[in-house]
Amino acid sequence: MRDFSYVRPDAAAEAVRLVARSADATFVAGGTDLLNLMKDGAEDHALVVDISRLPLAGIEESGGRLRIGAMARMADVALHPVVPKRLPLLSQALLASASPQVRTMATIGGNLLQRTRCWYFRGTGFACNKREPGSGCAALEGRSRWHAVLGGGDHCIAVHPSDLAVALRALDATVHTLGPDGARTVSLADFYREPGDTPHIDNALRHGELITAVEVPLPPAGTHQRYLKLRDRATFEFAVVSVAAVLRTRGRIVEEARLAFGGIATQPWRSAEAEAALRGKPLTERNIAAAGRVLVRDAQPREDNEFKVELVQRALQDVLGRYTGGSR
Amino acid sequence: MNTDVVGRPLSRVESRLKVTGAAEYTADVRVPRLLHGFMAMSTIARGRITRIDTRAAEAAGGVVAVYTHETMPRLKQPTYRPFFKPFIPIQSPEIHHAGQPVAFVVAQTLEQAQRAAELVEVEYEETGRPLGELAMGVPFLAPSGPDGPNTFERGDVAEGMARADVRVEAEFTIPMHHHNPIEPHATTAVWKGSKVTVYETTQALGNTQHVVSEALDVPLDDVRVISRYLGGGFGSKGPVWAHTVLACAAARAVGRPVKLVLSRAHMFTSNGHRAETHQRIGIGATRDGRITALDHVSTQQVTRGDVALFNSSEPIRMLYDIPHLSNVQRTVRLDLPTQSFIRSPEACSSHAQEAALDELAHALKLDPVELRKRNWSSRNMADGEEWGSNYLRECYDRAAAKFGWSRRDPRPGSMRDGGELVGWGMATSAHTAGGRPGSGARMTFDVRGRARIQVGTHDLGTGTYTIMTQIAGEVLGIPVEDVLFELGDSAFPLSYASGASTTAPGVGTAVNRVCSAARKAVIEMAVSQPGSPLRGVPAERVDTGDGHLFDTADRRTRVSYRSVIGHGGKPLHFEVEPVDTPLGYSTGAVFVEVRVDPLLGRIRVTRVVGCYDPGTVLNRKTARSQVLGGIIWGIGFTLFEHTLVDPATARIVNPNLSGYLIPVNADVPDIQVQFIDRPDPASDALGARGFGETPMTGVTAAIANAVFHATGKRVRDLPLTQDKLL
Amino acid sequence: MPEHSRRNVLKSGGAAAAAVMAPLPDGPRPVTAPHQVRQAAQPKAVTDLTLEVNGERHRLEGVEARVTLLDALRERAGLTGAKKGCDRGECGACTVLADGRRIKACLTLAVMQDGRSITTVEGLARGERLHPVQEAFIRRDAFQCGICTPGQIMSAVACIEEGHTGSEDEIREWMSGNLCRCSCYPNIVDAVADAAKAVR
Repeated sequence: MRDFSYVRPDAAAEAVRLVARSADATFVAGGTDLLNLMKDGAEDHALVVDISRLPLAGIEESGGRLRIGAMARMADVALHPVVPKRLPLLSQALLASASPQVRTMATIGGNLLQRTRCWYFRGTGFACNKREPGSGCAALEGRSRWHAVLGGGDHCIAVHPSDLAVALRALDATVHTLGPDGARTVSLADFYREPGDTPHIDNALRHGELITAVEVPLPPAGTHQRYLKLRDRATFEFAVVSVAAVLRTRGRIVEEARLAFGGIATQPWRSAEAEAALRGKPLTERNIAAAGRVLVRDAQPREDNEFKVELVQRALQDVLGRYTGGSR
Repeated sequence: MNTDVVGRPLSRVESRLKVTGAAEYTADVRVPRLLHGFMAMSTIARGRITRIDTRAAEAAGGVVAVYTHETMPRLKQPTYRPFFKPFIPIQSPEIHHAGQPVAFVVAQTLEQAQRAAELVEVEYEETGRPLGELAMGVPFLAPSGPDGPNTFERGDVAEGMARADVRVEAEFTIPMHHHNPIEPHATTAVWKGSKVTVYETTQALGNTQHVVSEALDVPLDDVRVISRYLGGGFGSKGPVWAHTVLACAAARAVGRPVKLVLSRAHMFTSNGHRAETHQRIGIGATRDGRITALDHVSTQQVTRGDVALFNSSEPIRMLYDIPHLSNVQRTVRLDLPTQSFIRSPEACSSHAQEAALDELAHALKLDPVELRKRNWSSRNMADGEEWGSNYLRECYDRAAAKFGWSRRDPRPGSMRDGGELVGWGMATSAHTAGGRPGSGARMTFDVRGRARIQVGTHDLGTGTYTIMTQIAGEVLGIPVEDVLFELGDSAFPLSYASGASTTAPGVGTAVNRVCSAARKAVIEMAVSQPGSPLRGVPAERVDTGDGHLFDTADRRTRVSYRSVIGHGGKPLHFEVEPVDTPLGYSTGAVFVEVRVDPLLGRIRVTRVVGCYDPGTVLNRKTARSQVLGGIIWGIGFTLFEHTLVDPATARIVNPNLSGYLIPVNADVPDIQVQFIDRPDPASDALGARGFGETPMTGVTAAIANAVFHATGKRVRDLPLTQDKLL
Repeated sequence: MPEHSRRNVLKSGGAAAAAVMAPLPDGPRPVTAPHQVRQAAQPKAVTDLTLEVNGERHRLEGVEARVTLLDALRERAGLTGAKKGCDRGECGACTVLADGRRIKACLTLAVMQDGRSITTVEGLARGERLHPVQEAFIRRDAFQCGICTPGQIMSAVACIEEGHTGSEDEIREWMSGNLCRCSCYPNIVDAVADAAKAVR
């Protein structure tokens, strides 16, 4: 890790100003990902601006929405009185993330901005377009067990690793930011970027812009919510495949199914077509299977991750299957 | 011997230090004027360095020196075998594997050393596409190595197969594994004139002493190696690795103490691994379950510079009473770091044999326990010698009863609980133990009757401190509080490396012998000392216990050790030389329950029962913990551990603990452990055999067999991740 | 027992540490609130900082910003109880409490913890009296080599405090951020369950 300067300003605007004015500056909040990236040489910053103590950690419910300050710790959000009750999906996704220690350190904003766990990205010396634009992608011909089958391309197939982001995608969350040009709001649907030919750009944030809060509309009572995370070991591991589901039914008929997927795509993945395949139809094993097939229609698997195409469909069946009442 | 110290579940004697943070591990040792070392590693696997530029590194803050193959002091390639690496890095421009050290930085602080290592610029010339996977190489049969020939024949396999009514044949693959002790390898080298003290993470003080002496051309007696607490080793710290030698050389060159702690990533290329292994096994048997023939070929990775094989074939050659047998160990040269031994090297061949036996039992419609019992042998089948003792058949019965095996429906997929498939599987645990050079020991009996025993051995967490304290207390007949057992210093009489399940029998024998000599000497003093209550009592009538010597004819006639030695007025000294320990075979039976989600393929191990025959159990608490460790290693081995090699570059892709998954607490089920606990008459360590490596064997196959029982699917390539059951 | 000689070594270590990390004289407790009164912050590559470690206030001078809390404790404060197993937050051996909550000391910069109260494994016992978690770890043989033990124990203290000891499965899940390669997990679960009872 290079020798860098550190500063802890008292106000968000000052933090933004400090980062915005120098190209090799960055924010640190929990630090749980940034320190690793810098130790591994995947990122290199001359100035680190500490925002962890800014008064942005509040969690407030109002007008049918929950506003979560970007500096709120994962553990505090997961166990906040409103969250397990009204947003169990969010609570489940957070508690399935990382380890208890990291959850007391890592912030909601930082979690959304964590970078891919692709070992070709984190292992300097491998070609990686995300780390070094134009250098190539070693993962394409490499060991791709942890890589995307959707949303990739010729430049990058790295998976976005956040469980939280998958849950928030299904919950239609929005992100509040503060940048050199002031505050703005971005839907999470527009926040993450497909790699295209610029895989070094993960998201919509501009340099010097920070997340100040995440806002989640509270689903109406009676909405089913569930997060399923599949991985090789029982816990303390990134997802191999994950599914977040927000489901409203009337009788057996699906009124709305919001489905987001982790582990299979370059960003937290939603498939409007798969959701449409369920909307207005009875929730049956067969209809879930049809939605699953739509989901993976454009999948581009490789030898090591081909199983994800099948596994994610089964995971969807597992998540929604419990609400079918046994209907095939 | 009547204090009943041995076997007691005594808490570890060093526990207080370990729970308060006071136990000083190698990386914790502080010495004045210490500098920090760090290594830069090659990013290519096969080629040579064409240019190396250290200017930026040298200009970075706090840097004292940057050594490359052009500037590193010349070192002699050790001939002492536990230096497995066929070359010392940073001595020539040749690159033999990715992650090979190419520069050694010394700086004032750790952060400065790490940064400077990043700043070393290296240009390489690649000499051909590197090979990183077994399937890419060409197998060949290597000549006999130090562990004997790579082929073994008994009877005539073709004839044996011809006599079989039923034959099964299967292929198994096991990926590369890494030891991953939580404590990284560390060396702190402190020179005083021409003498060096090396604080080292080692399972083999003597190996380190010899290798440092030879590589740096220092007389053996001028090298002192210290390793009092070891944060796990699992074999990785048994051989001596190049970084140790390099740290010593750098410290000598800069004229100040240097501490080098490997990073986790360094540990994937610097200290050995379990080589990727492919096995083909065929077994034939008569309809009544007598095995007539076994044909086994293993193929393992080696490097371009050596042909040492560590995934050895003892279970094939030794365990079952098989008249016709062929065993061949082939090798493939790959551009990977040097392979080595890792906890339970026999686990690989055990896995293939025990999984194939399950296939055979299924084909024969015979209970897998019964199949094993019908082919049990009381002898070492490799040489025909009877074992000192072998209670394996009793292990099967006791573990099966505890597990409830008789309630098993043998039909695959027949047992369900709710939506889950339940599977029960079993296998034999067996690992050789000891059969290596023994250990020296010395002892001082002070005038207050306290025994201080010193052995240059190691406690990897295996309980050496504690069980040797117990053996001494038992043999002398004094409370364990009056025993101080010291280890971890090459200035003490040395033991063999702590590996291959040798420490309990090897050091145990030495402690027994030195304490027996001391006890005898004090008895002689007591029966001849003027004023002693035992004066004139025949020595053979004197026994010891509770810190006293007494007349067995009249137990009230007694005198304390303290009184006898105190009367003499000076401490007594004893020392014994090493004697070889016999080869032992510690066996057991392990039964496993798994639950499989039929939709998602997820496997959970939900119950394990094992019963073992380690000879005398020296400490029920520490022995049980070691069994837990072995079983849980078996779970990781079977379900998720694998080191992945990038096919294009032969670089390790997941050199970390989030990509190389080892079990966490939530992976671990209810585990029941039983012991036969009967002394092995062949052991001079109070009947105890080596045992540490046995419990991991068998678990791997038992899980795979249970998965077959649950699902009807045989998964023969590990790890058994959920995608393989879809 | 080997304890005696080891303890002496530790004592001399403690004395050496004091030179680097001198306790401050009594005074106001460090401020942990976000709005300390201070001058406009200036970026610095080397800073001075104050930590309250195991109940004692310490001033660390001339610490590079890139130094992690773990390396500050181990290499500068002479507190080697917290261990470095991976330096990436993947093993948990460096677990300490910061303002009473468990964190991984390798994943935070020392300067980010300025003013906070840190508890390491060295700070649990009260004189000769061990903490109930420490006692339970000994009684249940919840370690073998002991290298992960300081982290396991700190995690266990927090796990009990958080109330995540309702069942064996709950303990397993909430103790899974700490790897034990000797794999003493069942004994760790027993020790945490025992200690949870003792603490209440």
